[in-house]
Amino acid sequence: MTGPTAGRPLLQSNSLTKRYGDTLALDSVDIQVFDGITGLLGPNGAGKSTAMKLFLGLLSPTSGTAEVLGEKPYENVEVRARLGYMPEHDCLPDAITASEFLGHMAQMSGIPAVAARTRAADILRHVGLDEERYRHIKEYSTGMKQRVKLAQALVHDPVMVLLDEPTAGLDPGGREEMLQLIRRTGREFGISIMLSSHLMGDVESTCDRIIVIEGGKIIEQGTVSQFTQETETLVIDVDDRRDEVVAALQGRGIEAAIDGLSIVVQRQSEEQFDDIRDAIVEADARLRRLAPSRGQISDIFRRTSA
Amino acid sequence: MTEARGEIFDIGYQHYDGPRNGRLHAVWSLWMNGFRTTLGLGRGTLAKLLPFGMLIATVAPAVGVVLLATIFGPEEDIIPSHEDYYGLISILLLLFSAIVAPELIIPDRRSGVINLYLVRPITAIDYVAARWASFLGLSLILVYSGQVLLLIGFLLTAGDPVDYLRDNWLDIPKFLAAGALVALFVTTIPLAVSSFTTRRTYAAAVVIAVFVISVPVAGMLTSSDCEFSERTTSEGANVQTSRCEYVTGDAAKWFALLDVGRAPIILSNMIFDAEGTGDPVWRLIDAHHPSIPILWYALLVLGPGALLFLRYRRMTI
Repeated sequence: MTGPTAGRPLLQSNSLTKRYGDTLALDSVDIQVFDGITGLLGPNGAGKSTAMKLFLGLLSPTSGTAEVLGEKPYENVEVRARLGYMPEHDCLPDAITASEFLGHMAQMSGIPAVAARTRAADILRHVGLDEERYRHIKEYSTGMKQRVKLAQALVHDPVMVLLDEPTAGLDPGGREEMLQLIRRTGREFGISIMLSSHLMGDVESTCDRIIVIEGGKIIEQGTVSQFTQETETLVIDVDDRRDEVVAALQGRGIEAAIDGLSIVVQRQSEEQFDDIRDAIVEADARLRRLAPSRGQISDIFRRTSA
Repeated sequence: MTEARGEIFDIGYQHYDGPRNGRLHAVWSLWMNGFRTTLGLGRGTLAKLLPFGMLIATVAPAVGVVLLATIFGPEEDIIPSHEDYYGLISILLLLFSAIVAPELIIPDRRSGVINLYLVRPITAIDYVAARWASFLGLSLILVYSGQVLLLIGFLLTAGDPVDYLRDNWLDIPKFLAAGALVALFVTTIPLAVSSFTTRRTYAAAVVIAVFVISVPVAGMLTSSDCEFSERTTSEGANVQTSRCEYVTGDAAKWFALLDVGRAPIILSNMIFDAEGTGDPVWRLIDAHHPSIPILWYALLVLGPGALLFLRYRRMTI
């Protein structure tokens, strides 16, 4: 996305610390979030929600700063007019229509009444609820309610939306639809997103960048491709005779080990591929796959716990 | 004949580049939404039944009084006047506020909508102030509509409306001031109670219980044993006198204040310089210095008001 925000961070924190009594929820966190879709990944209790509340201005930091579009939201609530937020838990009224509710929410973010009604209709169309917009929200399915939750976060055309566990409670089909909608919001609508989740698959398939948080600290941050690029490990999958293949590889001076159903070896040179081929032939095994392994986001947590 | 042809284009997501209003607009929207919610506007017929039924019920006594005024004339003693009106409808107002006021803030917390309000460009105090003002607006409509109807009725039934207005114009600022005090009272207490529960029925039950139970409690604590005697004055007239011993002694006049629903009506009577109904509780309240009922009313409004605002000041999602 290009525009007035291009180049400067939408969200930024400096030594952001939040303490609840004796509990340290965030410990001197430095975050910079730019345009695009950013995933805030971490297990439950890692500090994701606290970080979001600080950026929404619902909490004040114990020390450090949290800024949205250059403003501190806990000092100036008006900056929230350019932010959207989709909470994890139920947050919709039952007894009114989605159309009326969204119109009201748009007005609550500063859009004049007539424009608010138009925006409500447009957004409900974009999230696939055009036909159902005059039905009471209590008649909606869980998936439809989740879309209304997203729609209310977008109805005032924010610069950025914060989505807290947006796929919580959805079945696999509904989850994929919601992730697609999030990707469209980020890529087609040009609205930047910070998505918090404890599901690595959601983050990996949707986000451009990832911030990994655990125990109130940022443990990694970078682009998704950075975490999933090729590694220096080769993975060999054979149908059977794994032990014989390992012995043949070791006979050729290649360090090999069995990892689950695969054999892994450290990549050293291009000639190594010939040795591997010969070892498989010698062991009389049937080759299924020989490929460099890719990093996985879960490796970050493995490294941390190690 | 040419064939009509049309095409529909999907122009995709459109950014909004129109005007954006500030925090005051958000508060105004919330006020308007609250006002519509209490009247059941934009909702089903059932949601409108209670508020509109109550509106009719609070105006109905005024209609009755106007009918009486057409028969007897507006200034006959038998006709209730502006000063009596709030006493007549106070029980209806209390019931209405106990049932409808919780509707304004409890569903927002129960359904979680408050989470969406608190991330809009308003503070939690803005939120509760807007909700409070919504119900105050409705209460003012309820208290004033009957009085305005009375005024119109008295003017129309008076022999000379101009004379009537010249003699009684002071009733207008008086009923406006007294009505504002009644509306403040019936708005603040139920909302304060509602801020402590997520069940509308609990809030309504507590408010009704406070208003209803306080009547017999005050009555019991101010009950008296009276001796009546007759004496003849120097002019030869017979005068009946009474001497009452209250069960709670001198403290009875303080216990009389426990009839909390009467607090705004006492002030209304003070504004109109009117007599109470003459029952023991009224007699005891009259025995206080005028500042005491005023302070008592202020405590009953400001105390719950402070609780309401404090409760929301600390609220976060």
